[in-house]
Parts: sequence; C-alpha cells; structure tokens
Amino acid sequence: MSSLPGFFGTHQPAITRAIDAFVPASTGAPVVDAMRYTLLAPSKRVRAVLVLLSAELCGSSARAMPAACAVEAIHGASLILDDLPCMDDAPLRRGRPSAHVEFGEAVAVLAAFGLLNDAYGHLARAYEPALAAKITTLYADAVGLDGLVAGQAEDVLATDTTLTFDTLERIHRRKTGVLFSAAATAGALSAGGSADDIAALTAYAKNLGLAFQIVDDLLDVTGTPEETGKAVRSDVRKTTFVSLSGVDGARELALELCRTAAGALAPFGRRAAHLSELAEFVAQRRL
Amino acid sequence: MASVPPSGDVDALRERLRALGYLDARVDRFVLGGAASRSRAASLALAASVRIGLLAGVILGPAAVIGIATRAPGLVTSVTDAMVLAAYLTVPFGLASAVLACVAILTAGWLARQTASDPEFPARARRAAIAAGLMVAAVCLAYLTLWWRAAVPPDAWAMQAVVLAVAAAISVLIGHVVTISVLAYLARLGLAGLPVGSPLSSWRAVVPAGAVALIGAMVLIRTLAPVAAPESAPPPALTVVPTGVRAVVVAIDGVDVSTLTRLRASGGLPTFDRLVSGASVGLAVSTDRDPAQVWTTLATGQPPERHGIRALEGRQLAGVEGRVGADSPGMSMLTTATDLLRLTRPTIASGEERRVPSFWEVAASAGLRTAVVHWWATWPAAGTLGTVLSDRAILRLEQGGELAAEIAPASIYPSLLASASVRMARVNEVAASAALGLSPEIAAIIERSARLDATVLDLATDSTVGSQDLLVVYLPGLDIAQHALFPAAPSDTLAPAAAAERVRALEGYYAFLDGALGRTVVTSGGPTHLTWLVTQPGRVAGGAAGTQALMAISGPGAGLDTTSEVVSAEALAPTVLRALGVPVAADLPASSVESLFADAFKTTFVVRSVSTYGERRVGSVQTTGKPLDREMIERMRSLGYVR
Repeated sequence: MSSLPGFFGTHQPAITRAIDAFVPASTGAPVVDAMRYTLLAPSKRVRAVLVLLSAELCGSSARAMPAACAVEAIHGASLILDDLPCMDDAPLRRGRPSAHVEFGEAVAVLAAFGLLNDAYGHLARAYEPALAAKITTLYADAVGLDGLVAGQAEDVLATDTTLTFDTLERIHRRKTGVLFSAAATAGALSAGGSADDIAALTAYAKNLGLAFQIVDDLLDVTGTPEETGKAVRSDVRKTTFVSLSGVDGARELALELCRTAAGALAPFGRRAAHLSELAEFVAQRRL
Repeated sequence: MASVPPSGDVDALRERLRALGYLDARVDRFVLGGAASRSRAASLALAASVRIGLLAGVILGPAAVIGIATRAPGLVTSVTDAMVLAAYLTVPFGLASAVLACVAILTAGWLARQTASDPEFPARARRAAIAAGLMVAAVCLAYLTLWWRAAVPPDAWAMQAVVLAVAAAISVLIGHVVTISVLAYLARLGLAGLPVGSPLSSWRAVVPAGAVALIGAMVLIRTLAPVAAPESAPPPALTVVPTGVRAVVVAIDGVDVSTLTRLRASGGLPTFDRLVSGASVGLAVSTDRDPAQVWTTLATGQPPERHGIRALEGRQLAGVEGRVGADSPGMSMLTTATDLLRLTRPTIASGEERRVPSFWEVAASAGLRTAVVHWWATWPAAGTLGTVLSDRAILRLEQGGELAAEIAPASIYPSLLASASVRMARVNEVAASAALGLSPEIAAIIERSARLDATVLDLATDSTVGSQDLLVVYLPGLDIAQHALFPAAPSDTLAPAAAAERVRALEGYYAFLDGALGRTVVTSGGPTHLTWLVTQPGRVAGGAAGTQALMAISGPGAGLDTTSEVVSAEALAPTVLRALGVPVAADLPASSVESLFADAFKTTFVVRSVSTYGERRVGSVQTTGKPLDREMIERMRSLGYVR
C-alpha cells in the first residue's frame, strides 16, 4: 500500500481543524450531525490539499483554507448524494456506513444541501467580493450542468448500458476532473496566480482527475473494502477504463496521466515538487 | 459501439485521450494559457492570437533566415548573423501570424455561430475550426516552401524531403493551434456541446495531415523549381589557348561620349585618340546608374538579378555583420526610419554579395596573371586569385594599420604602404596641375578627383603589381567631378559665367585623364597589349536620351571598324575573356563582340565555349585588421555617392 506523501501530514490536520470550525457545531439536530459525520470522516482530503498546494505554488497558501474547506464540503455533499439508494446505493463510505444508512435518506439529502450552501456561504464570507465571486462561480460551475450534477445524472442513467469512450470520459471529467480543476484554480486564484499559472495547474488537475478516477476504477476491481473503505465490485455493471483497456492498460494510462500532470508543472521547477509527489501518489494509491 | 476501442487497445485509448486534451498538450496549453482568464470571447481570441503569433514568430522567423540567406547573399555571414536576423524577423512574422490567426479564429467562429441552434452545430463548429486551421496551415506551408525553394537544390531529393517535412510539421502545428483556438473561442461564447480538443491532437490525424502537407509542399516546390540550376553544376576546368594578347582594361566613369568626340576632334586628347583608334561599339546604358550595380554587370557579364549587386548603398542591421541592399524607393524610406532608430546603418556594396565571378577572377582561375585596381565591390579581396587592390585599398593605404582584406595578396601591402608617402607627393603634384587656373571652389573639386584617379593609375603601374596578362583599372574621378560640378539642380540655375567655368573645368579633366593615361597604363603595356576603353556616362546623365557609353579596343588583334552597333553591358566580360583565349561561358546573356577584333585574330583564335563559370568561389582567409566600414561610408558620403 502506498503511503501518503509527507506534506499530507501537515496539511490534513490543518484542513480537518478548519473544517471542524467551518461546519456547524453539533446541536443534536440530525442534519447537522449528518453534515459533521460526512465532513469529519477519515479522509485523504486530496481536493483540499490540492487547493493548498496550488496556492503555495502561486505564492502563498495563507488565504487558501476557506476555498479548501468549501471544496471538501462540496465533495462531501456529492458523496452523500452519490451513495443514495436511488443513485449508487452504496452502504459504505470512508470505512463507515454511508450517511443515508446512518441518518436516513431524507436527512442525508438535506445534509448534502446544507453542505453545499455552507460551502458557498463560507466563500462569500471569507473573501473580498471579487475573489469570492470568482471562486464561487468556479465551484458552482463545477457542481452544475457541466460538472457533478450532469456527470452524476449521466452516470446513473448509464448503468447497465455500454458507454462510448466519449461518454465515459465526459462522466469522469464532470464527476471528478472538473472539481479537481476547480480546486487547483481556486488555490491559484486565492494566491493571485497568473493566467499561465492557472493554465498549467488546470492541465495538471485535468490529467490528475482522470487518473484518480481510473485508479478508482482499478481499486474497484483489485482492491478490498478494507483497503478502499467502500464497497468494491460495485462497478461491474458499468463501462469503465478497466473494461475498456484491461487492468494493466488502465494502470498504464493512469500512470501516463499522472506523469503528464507532473510534466505540466515544469514551468514551476522544483517549487512544484509537492504537487508532483501528489501525482505520483495518485498513480500508486491503494486507498 | 463503433467508437469504443476494443478492450485492451491502450494505444487507441491514448490517442482518444490526446484528442480530448489529456496527456501531453504543452503547445495547446501555451496558446490557450494566456486566454484562459479572459471573460469575453473576443479577448480570448485576441489573447490566443498573440500566443499563436509568438509561437509562429519564434518558428517562422528563423525559418525565413534560410530563405533570406539564399536570396540576399552577403546578409548572413555567420551563425551570429543568422541568430540576430532571426530575432528581428520574429517580430514581423509574429505580428503577421497573430493577425492571420485572429482573423481566422473570428471568421470561423462567426460562421459556426450562425448555426448555433442547429442540432448539427457541434459537428459544424468542429468543421469550421478545422477549416480555419487548414487555411492557416496552407498559408504557412506555401510561405515556407516558397522561402526555402531557393535554398534547396532542385535535384537534392533527400534534402528537399527533410526540409519539406519540417515545413509540413510546422504548418500542421500552426494549423492545430488555430483549430483549438477556434474551439476555445466558441466554448467561451457559451455554446455548449462542443467537442473538446483538436483532431490533430491524435497521431492518427497528425500523420496523414503531415503526409498530405508534405506531398503538397513537394508538388509546390517541384512546380515552381527553376528550370535550370546552373549553380548546382560544378564549373568545368578552364583551359587557355594563348592568343599572345595581354589586356589592359581602362574603365572610366562619367564620360560623355559626345564631349569626348568633340575634344578629340579639336586635337587635345592624343591618348584617347590612340585608345579608340581600333574598333569600337556603343554600350547600352542602363537607366539605373547605380555605379556598383552597373560596373558589376560589366565585370561579371551577368545582369544584377544574377550577380546580386543591386545597389551601392545597403544597410547593415544592428548586430548583423552582413548587409542587405536598399535600392527600391520603399526600402529607402524604410531604411531612413530604421537608420534614425539605429536599427540599421548604411554600408557599401561588397564582394560578399556578388554571386558570380568577375572576368578577372575567371581569367585568374584559368591560370592567367591578373590585377584589378579600385573596381566597385572588390572588397574583401582576401581569398581571391590574382592581385586585387580593392575599392578600399586606397583608404587602407591612407589609414595604414593592419590589412582587413583590402589588398590581395597581402604580401604586397608592406611595399605599397612603404611607398605611400612618395606616391602621395607624386599624385598631389599631378592633381594640382589639373586644377591650374580654376577658381578655388572648382579647383578643389577637380583636384580631389584628379588625386583619386592619379592614385589609381599610380597603383596600377606600381612595380609590386608587376606584369600581368590582364590589368583592370577603374577611374571614378570624372564622374565624381561631374557630379560635384553639376549636381542634381539643373545647370541653368548657375550664372552663365559660372556654368561656363565648370564646363571648362570638366573639359580640362578630360585632358588631365588623357595625359595621366598616356603616362601610365596605356604606354606601360607596350605593343603586345590590347587595350580596352570602357566608359559609362556616370550618375549625372540620369538616363537621358542620347547618352552613350563606349567600348573600344586598340592594339594587336583589334579591328579597325567603328560601328554604330550597340551591345549590352554584359558583353564586356566575354569579349575580354575571349581575347585572352579563355572559353566563354554559355550561360552568359551576351556573347563576345566579334566586330571588335581583326579578321586575322578571329580566324586564328576561334571563340571557344564552356557551359558555365559557376558561382563565385572565395577561399576563407582570416584577417586581423579592423574593416574600414565607417571610413568607407564617410568617404562615399564626401564623394557624393551616398547621402
């Protein structure tokens, strides 16, 4: 099992603390508990780390934490919705029962909406209007009709059908890649990154996002629930990169995508070492 | 489903991913990177065009240097020159490419938007983007092919294939970035459902596109290739059939033939009488009186477009050793501006720009002893055969210091330099005599010209130059004096008395030349010398009707007929070479003027021919001196040749 890069050790606790402060304190209300249950569950926090590393690369991560928390909240909301019985009907998430299993479907759905609203509200409160508008628009686009919502809709409707390559890529891009790109861009924006910085980071995130999804497909085939923290073999009825290219082929493609992601950061030189490590981790991950 | 690659076909998946903008797409990122932050589609198009311009400039600028180096000999003399020139060319080519790309993006985008509500819109948008890319790629390919056409020998298939493959690759790349820019532009307009990425992101599309481009370029280059490529054929060895003739060619600029005839008739020019006592013909006079061009045409027997010297005054780009001609009015205006900006500085035509050999170089390569004194564009002299006192030799002898190829062989320089002060005294004395009885202003003009001509003649007969089979001297003094005495303003603006004095001074100069020639080159040759008198009307004549030039020969082998025949300036070179027993090149536009020779000479020594003299070949010789570029410009300026 590949271990997390060292910088996770620094960033993860900081993100968790920030999320703990960001998500409403427990009041005994099931919705709030469901939100906290989802957000504070053990997680790698890859997207939030991506926000911080991108900001570091563009100067400083000092102002990036609100954007990191927001992206984690959006991701958490998407996971709640993704696991619902009407969607993937997944009983396990992050090694624990899914939110709808723990709190019931109605509360889970409301918790997802709560997380989304808190994410946008947090951005609006944390940044000056111009930057808040930019990052909020970015995240809204990543969630919307060319992002998570569209991707999830297409994914759900595609179950038991054979997908074209273009459709499969589009689903992966919308469900994973778009939020990866938004996270990297948000980090760069919070640090005042240039258009070229953002272009390089977007290319990085685009390739990394697809690699992440391909590795997810691989783990569904080769992993165990203990390793992945979720149910496996759940994608047997779906077209995936593994079904298109085989396990070895998918692994090869994931590796190439991660190398390309790292290569996109060449203009930054050694400053991009952490993001390169992240790409390497994604390529090798077993969890 | 048809679009699903077979399971396990990783290569197919990889190509599909590339087409969707994954994997390596650095060029795409570079082009669209600056545009990503633009909120308006038009500014995205502009930003992408600027990046395309940058990319194209960096590629096409250096590419153009290859073509320019071929078309403008003398401009690129080293790798440094090529690099500096490439840097210059990056700017105009970048700008042109950016404008072209912007027009293509906006046009294709506008066309695609017309069908935005159509279900077929994504497919049409893709086609419009591809069409825009193809259009720009085609322009780029045609441009590169035409530029490089002259740089690649027509029969060098392998080199052509490599060069054109590079051109095709560059064109495909430029076309690709335009295509992705159109797609990005349409996406920024909010037109959903667009395909992501360019078809040329996939090798399966790039390879056929590149192959088609290569074939197109090959067809273009073969279609436009010159029918004959004389430069590609190695020149055959020249053999001389001795005619017993030694030749002296006296070239005098600024001669008005009617004045010469009138003065001869009055009995005051015995040497000229002797020079035209044999046979003579008229020489066609070009309307372009640029002395470097005209006299190089006479020297090479080839027209300016072949010999490469089109103008006396050229321009040197800052940072570049080579030079480019500035002979057209448009170019002149441009160079005035660039001179002011210190981007260019004036230079004088040099032998480095000359592509074909002069008649004395041909004679020397055939094994004859030759010497040339003060002819235009003979600097740098190093690396050439025979004795060459170039158009910068007098300047060097005045300045002293180490040679910078002003004189060849370099071994004669110390001796010439040692005798410089004695020569100067001698020349000054002769020149002063030419100005006797004239008003100070006019005397100064006449004396200056006389000093220059007397120096040329003195050098031509210097013992270090030695006995030659062919001696060639160029005398600019009459033209310089005429130009100074009768400048561009019409002479009727002068008071009659002043005009009359100037005419008298000029006529006196004919007499001075007559005496100087009689004392030097005309008599020094002896009875075995066939002497040519070649004249041109100079700069003042300005192409007026009735102006004439003369080619006359006298001595053994010369005919006795003065005909009304007018031959082209290109006829001098083959005529001199034929008289010396050197074969005449078949690729010269003019042939030997046989009417100048006596029948017995023509019967005994028939004209032989050879296919070509080939290109000018100069050996590489390192010099230690500092070239007198600035001094030469100043001298030319003071003599009225350049502004």
